[in-house]
Amino acid sequence: METFFIGLSLSSILLLIALGLTITYGAMGVINMAHGELVMIGAYTAVLAGIYLNFNLFVSLPLAFATAAGVGWLVERVVIRRLYGRIIDTLLATWGVAILLQQLIRLEFGLSFFGIHIDGLGPGLQNMDVPSFLTQPFDFGGITIQPYRTFIIVVTILLALLTWYLLNRTAIGTQVRAVMRNPQIAAACGIDVRRVSAMTFAYGSGLAGVAGVLLAGFKTVQPDMGAAIVVDGFLVVVVGGVGSLLGTVLSAGLLGQINGIFAILTNDILARAVVFGVVIAIILWRPRGLFTFKTR
Amino acid sequence: MTAALTIDGLTVDFGGFKAVDGFSTVIHDGELRVILGPNGAGKTTLMDLISGKTPSTAGHIRLYGKDITALPEHRIAREGVGRKFQIPSVFRDLTVRQNLNVAVSHEPGVFANLRLAMPAEDLQRIEEVIELTQLGPVLEQLAGDLSHGQMQWLELGMLITQQAKVILLDEPTAGMTKAETSKTAEIIQALKGSHTILVVEHDMGFVRQIAERITVMHLGKLLAEGPMAKIETDPAVQEAYLGSGGIH
Amino acid sequence: MQGAPGSKFSTYADWAVYAVFIAVVLALPLVMEDVFWLNRISKYLVFGMLGLAIALSWGYAGILNLGQGLFFGLGAYMFAMSLKLKSYTSLQQGSDKPVPDFMLWNAEPGAPTELCCITPGSWLWLPFQAQGFGMIMAIVLPVCVALILASLIFRLRVSGVYVAIITLALVLLVRLLIIDAQPVTNGFNGLTDLGWLTIGGFEFDPYLVETYYFVAVPVCLVLLAARWLVSTRAGLILQSTRDDPNRARYLGYDVAAYQIFFFSVSAGIAGFAGMLYVIAAEFAGPSFLDITFSISMVVWAAVGGRNSLIGAAIGAILINTIEATASETELFKEAWKLIIGLLFVLVVLYLPRGLAGLARDGSDWLEARLARGKTGLAQKPAE
Repeated sequence: METFFIGLSLSSILLLIALGLTITYGAMGVINMAHGELVMIGAYTAVLAGIYLNFNLFVSLPLAFATAAGVGWLVERVVIRRLYGRIIDTLLATWGVAILLQQLIRLEFGLSFFGIHIDGLGPGLQNMDVPSFLTQPFDFGGITIQPYRTFIIVVTILLALLTWYLLNRTAIGTQVRAVMRNPQIAAACGIDVRRVSAMTFAYGSGLAGVAGVLLAGFKTVQPDMGAAIVVDGFLVVVVGGVGSLLGTVLSAGLLGQINGIFAILTNDILARAVVFGVVIAIILWRPRGLFTFKTR
Repeated sequence: MTAALTIDGLTVDFGGFKAVDGFSTVIHDGELRVILGPNGAGKTTLMDLISGKTPSTAGHIRLYGKDITALPEHRIAREGVGRKFQIPSVFRDLTVRQNLNVAVSHEPGVFANLRLAMPAEDLQRIEEVIELTQLGPVLEQLAGDLSHGQMQWLELGMLITQQAKVILLDEPTAGMTKAETSKTAEIIQALKGSHTILVVEHDMGFVRQIAERITVMHLGKLLAEGPMAKIETDPAVQEAYLGSGGIH
Repeated sequence: MQGAPGSKFSTYADWAVYAVFIAVVLALPLVMEDVFWLNRISKYLVFGMLGLAIALSWGYAGILNLGQGLFFGLGAYMFAMSLKLKSYTSLQQGSDKPVPDFMLWNAEPGAPTELCCITPGSWLWLPFQAQGFGMIMAIVLPVCVALILASLIFRLRVSGVYVAIITLALVLLVRLLIIDAQPVTNGFNGLTDLGWLTIGGFEFDPYLVETYYFVAVPVCLVLLAARWLVSTRAGLILQSTRDDPNRARYLGYDVAAYQIFFFSVSAGIAGFAGMLYVIAAEFAGPSFLDITFSISMVVWAAVGGRNSLIGAAIGAILINTIEATASETELFKEAWKLIIGLLFVLVVLYLPRGLAGLARDGSDWLEARLARGKTGLAQKPAE
């Protein structure tokens, strides 16, 4: 039960990351390799806010959302905006952006050249404090509940629901979905595609920032923490079907479960290998993903 | 006269919607056949079925007696069916000459093409096509930089270079100026006799200029077939066209 | 202005670049006496081969392979297995038949110290006792894997980004399998402490000029062979399948066959590069299959010019040489990564044809100038 729970909380973070990716990829056809770095920026925001502003986890969450969204917005304005329609180039350019962001943190925004050191940045490992009431496991009807894990799952569910609501029940969400299906027609209908794209990108980046804070609660924070995550996120998106929220949720669950089952049967390394194998098979079999709407 | 293309009871079912429904016709060797029909009649789908882009659900297509119904696209092409798309489809990042070179495809295998030079006869044929399509001055330009008309002629030229026995043309004059249209008609006239040609077209002026026999499709079925004069007075055809204002 | 791809001038200019490149590569030991740098350069020449392999599949075939490290890694491992069995230190570990040291450490107590059965799967190493077997397998295995993978991908008509994601997932998968198969592969640590390639009694110490040539000459030959390959009709047809696969199909070409062939050639070159790298670096490890390494190859090719074989090769060599020079101090090393990231963003945004594109524009400009000088007309060259 406990391993299932840990697995579920990991899947939740993966889902948050994949949700951000699926709306940026689905809405704009951008493969954002710097998405992992936005996760990392979220984590560092929490670390720095803890050190300098004495913010706790709950205050850090919205702050990290805002910071990552701001950085994402900037990346969209400066780089991605020039590359719409060139999907492979977005992948390559954002990979460059990813290195840039990593190095900026590692080099303390370049200040380390001048011998200035900022506490909480640099190449080393950082930690974020989690309020003690979230770290004490408690008993609930004979089951040991890890409050922090539960917290992660709850936040993810809330944000997934919020994303669904924004996309499907608000005017701006309708515009985003219109842009997803066909940007030219959307533009012809008077939708400001650039503004919608920038906002969508910022929102997806914000979700990554939140994922970063949640991740920082049980993992050390370091400049390259996001690099490995983004690939997993993409695999979830592709398997779920690009632009499909429900598909992303189901696919995060599916891949998480496969990983969990094989981790018990064999070991963690082979379980990951099996997940990659399954992903390859699914892409070969259904390149559009398992859970997609039909397009012509 | 031998039959070049025999279509027999051809049907495709897109989940209950039959875009082409039991369509049959025989096109003879060297014939130029125009296919008419209101929007949604299934003309482009028919081309997709013949060229193998869309697999049919029933019926047969025979090319000079050989059944090509279930072959993949490149095999159908090798049997001698060439296709021109409605939106010009050329290799945009290659030069015009390179486009024509690629179109020489009587030896399509990878290993057969691991050589630098081309046989003189192939080069000769390319020169003839350049002559016919008047693409000489733009030979070294990238195909993507050509004008709309030139691109269409290049694509036609590629079909000739390919030595397609049966040529499928999907609205070859769409988006063309009057002058471009009449030059296209000239090129097509020049192919008449040596090639079997199947044209889908809306421009009636153009159709009158080139057509011998006309097949009219409606809702995926054959509605009428015959020479221009007979088709224009056919009451069933007039009725089918009523919604779109008749043939004009 | 629009460069004329078929013009005589640009063809000559192109061949001149090849000639200069090969001359510089072959003459380098005459001026560079530092054997450590020579060894480094030979490694970067191998990276140049990787850049070329990427340009072949990405630039000419339009297939972005984000897992080229798989083929490089397989090639490296295959040959490293042979060299490991020639390692002096492995011999010393209490067996008269060479058994890799890590197998001894991993063996169950009491297991026979024979290659056939010391650890589960160690028998796989038996044929690698022949050095030639490792050499051949370094190319054959990557090509076979590529053939199977490409057949699946291209027969099923998977394209674009999905090919990139499949190759990415596959390199990660194989990396994990290698790490997991500790008793056969030494897991995370990889195959270290290798012996030297020996041909006819001559030992190729990585820090010898002879070894430099043993690497450099094949690199030049592969470059020329690849240049020939893309100049053939098959190369032209390949480019046509990149531009418009459907058009190529309706001309009668089996598009998948072309994609499979060139994807596999690219994989074979990468495998060969892996083999040469092992000679110079005396090491093969799972880091060869890291994503960052595979993406780095794409970066080299993009900076050098994805549509130019030699451009991509020079891009790889330049970037790595500058990196090595900049990495003398730790801080500078990090700053260099920053520069690489920035450079890459700028190249994608403003120089999508890379350095080769820049060079080609320069040569076109020169050609226009020369033509104007010849005819004596003072008019501007046609745009």
